[in-house]
Amino acid sequence: MIELHHITKRFNSGRPNEFTAVDDVSLRIAARRITVLKGPSGSGKTTLLSLIGCMARPTAGRIVLHGIRPAFLPEGGAEDGIDISSLPERFLTEIRRSAFGFIFQQFNLVRGISVLENVMLPVYPTGAGYAVVRERARSLLELLRIERHAAARVDWLSGGELQRVAIARALINNPSLVIADEPTAHLDSRLSGEFMAIVADLTSEGRTVLIASHDPLVCESALADAVVEMRDGHIIGAGDAP
Amino acid sequence: MHPALNRQRNIIDFTISSLLRRRVKNLSLLAVYTLIVFVIASLIFFVQSLKREAAVLLAEAPDIVVQRMIAGRHDLVPEAYARQIAGLRGVREVTPRLWGYYYDSVFGANYTLMVPDRAAPGPGTITIGSGVARNQRIKQGDLLTLRSAANAPLLLEVQGILPYASELVAADLISMSRSDFQTMFSFPDGVATDLAVSVANPREIATIAAKVAELFPDTRPIMKSEILRTYDTLFDWRSGMMVVMLAVAVLSFIIFAWDKATGLSAEERREIGVLKSIGWETADVLLLKFWEGAVISLTAFLTGVILAYGHVYFFSAGLFQHALKGWAVLYPQFRLIPVVDAYQLSILFLLTVFPYTAATIVPAWLAATVDPDAALRS
Amino acid sequence: MMPRASTLFLAVTAVNLLVGGLLLLHSRVEAVAAQPQRDLRRGLVRDWRLTDLCLFTEARYTRHPSMADRHAPFQDHPVALEHFPSGSLLTPPLQMRPHAPSP
Repeated sequence: MIELHHITKRFNSGRPNEFTAVDDVSLRIAARRITVLKGPSGSGKTTLLSLIGCMARPTAGRIVLHGIRPAFLPEGGAEDGIDISSLPERFLTEIRRSAFGFIFQQFNLVRGISVLENVMLPVYPTGAGYAVVRERARSLLELLRIERHAAARVDWLSGGELQRVAIARALINNPSLVIADEPTAHLDSRLSGEFMAIVADLTSEGRTVLIASHDPLVCESALADAVVEMRDGHIIGAGDAP
Repeated sequence: MHPALNRQRNIIDFTISSLLRRRVKNLSLLAVYTLIVFVIASLIFFVQSLKREAAVLLAEAPDIVVQRMIAGRHDLVPEAYARQIAGLRGVREVTPRLWGYYYDSVFGANYTLMVPDRAAPGPGTITIGSGVARNQRIKQGDLLTLRSAANAPLLLEVQGILPYASELVAADLISMSRSDFQTMFSFPDGVATDLAVSVANPREIATIAAKVAELFPDTRPIMKSEILRTYDTLFDWRSGMMVVMLAVAVLSFIIFAWDKATGLSAEERREIGVLKSIGWETADVLLLKFWEGAVISLTAFLTGVILAYGHVYFFSAGLFQHALKGWAVLYPQFRLIPVVDAYQLSILFLLTVFPYTAATIVPAWLAATVDPDAALRS
Repeated sequence: MMPRASTLFLAVTAVNLLVGGLLLLHSRVEAVAAQPQRDLRRGLVRDWRLTDLCLFTEARYTRHPSMADRHAPFQDHPVALEHFPSGSLLTPPLQMRPHAPSP
């Protein structure tokens, strides 16, 4: 569960091109649900994602994460949740690595190397044992029914297969939260529907999913548990899916 | 397995996958890199070995060699000089040396003819160096024909051939009796080519050389230290061919590094952005770039040096034969005694590994510090 | 199943280092083993009062560089071009250089 208290993000403070991407946003994102941030480009939803995903710090306000247990906290130390807005860089990175998985609009897979290696890539620098990680990657590919492409170059895969690889990669570190930014932008209706179905499975596994999208197939999908509408950095409507 | 070690290995895995994407380019880079290291390391091994050999062998050379000069050129030195020099305090003995050059037009080779002051061969017999034997394809007991200065043929019987191990100092030597030598060159009595002076106390050599020069202003004493220094600067890095080799090597290293140093391509930049977005930190990206440079340069260095050692010490620097032989017809064959000069090899290591690795890391620094959410924005 | 890339690399590097170490050992052993031949050469230098290594037999000043005088290389003219390839390998003897340090 994620709590946002009066979050503001301002870029280029004090300069002529000062720009407020997110303005006084307060929100509660339920755990184990699919929440969709809806809004046109420039509405601040991408910025909000990066703030929640421990990629950037808010200019003002607090973000509290519940239900995650990073390695640097003692047992039972996360009762009230972790305020990530005030954490030093090191810990922020640790949380991002262990608790978050990201799916990008362009998939952002590394060309020229195999699917399996792409899926394993996020955890390479953490020093995890190779055999363990490879096993986990294989089982993820199997789960998403693309195991037969394990040794293939990503250059040779179709859009739908790439989507699944991107999802598998996002799951390699067993994250509690999965963040997806415009995941269906390059997908047709059928694949968009498939995406939502896969993501719904993730919540049944106990993960929280946060999607930023202005695609009606996502926003109006029956599988979306909550839709938060944004415009110009503000929330203009929050509520459960229709 | 230790996480820190795992981390390195994982990153090396990706580094190699990454390099293999441009398989041909990187393999040929590695090959050329190794070749350059091979050539320079071969030179280092060869030169160091020869220099060491010269230093050890020529430590036994005469303390002072007295030459006589007339009109700036070599002239024969009267044996009377020898008696006077022997009278100087500190001089142990003075031995006149009789030696000269002979050009054999039949075989096109230059030989050095000499008369040893001890155990010289009897008249009509000679002892020859193994290079001469090889050149003329003769063996012990055969006859060797030389043409004297009076244009008369001189037949000499080969009494002995020096062993192969002596090639480096005596390959072209023909040792003969005094009478034969004088017949060969119409060499007058009472003179010698030069004088070998033996000094009792090595620290006095310079003083005595000065005294000789004072006593006989028409002489030029050459000290053993000067002989040794001549060979110490043998194949100096400043000499013609060596400078060219070194310049080529340095230029090559610069060219390799240049390709990396002129910044990253857009694709490489994008890829770093992707890595940052999936959880890699700046330090991880830099480590990746480090290994990218180190994998190639380290492998090139180690392989090149090992091959160079084999080339010089197991194959007698066969590839340099052509350059070393020059226009000489008689070239000594010798096996070099291995010398591993840590200093020069470390310099080569620094030259090989550091610039290339640095050129791979530094341009990536800026790209590596990009914010992790850059991929979200693109 | 292909071994890991890093395993291969580390293996190759390990082999290289091992071979390097062996060659270092070889150099020590060989130096000792070659001593008799070296002693033979030393004896020859001593007994026959030799002053130079027999490396370049093309000309007088290349065969006996330590004995060379100023005129030997430049028979025709002091600025004559170098005749032999070995001239580009040999630097002039120290005593020939303009700023030769005095003994």
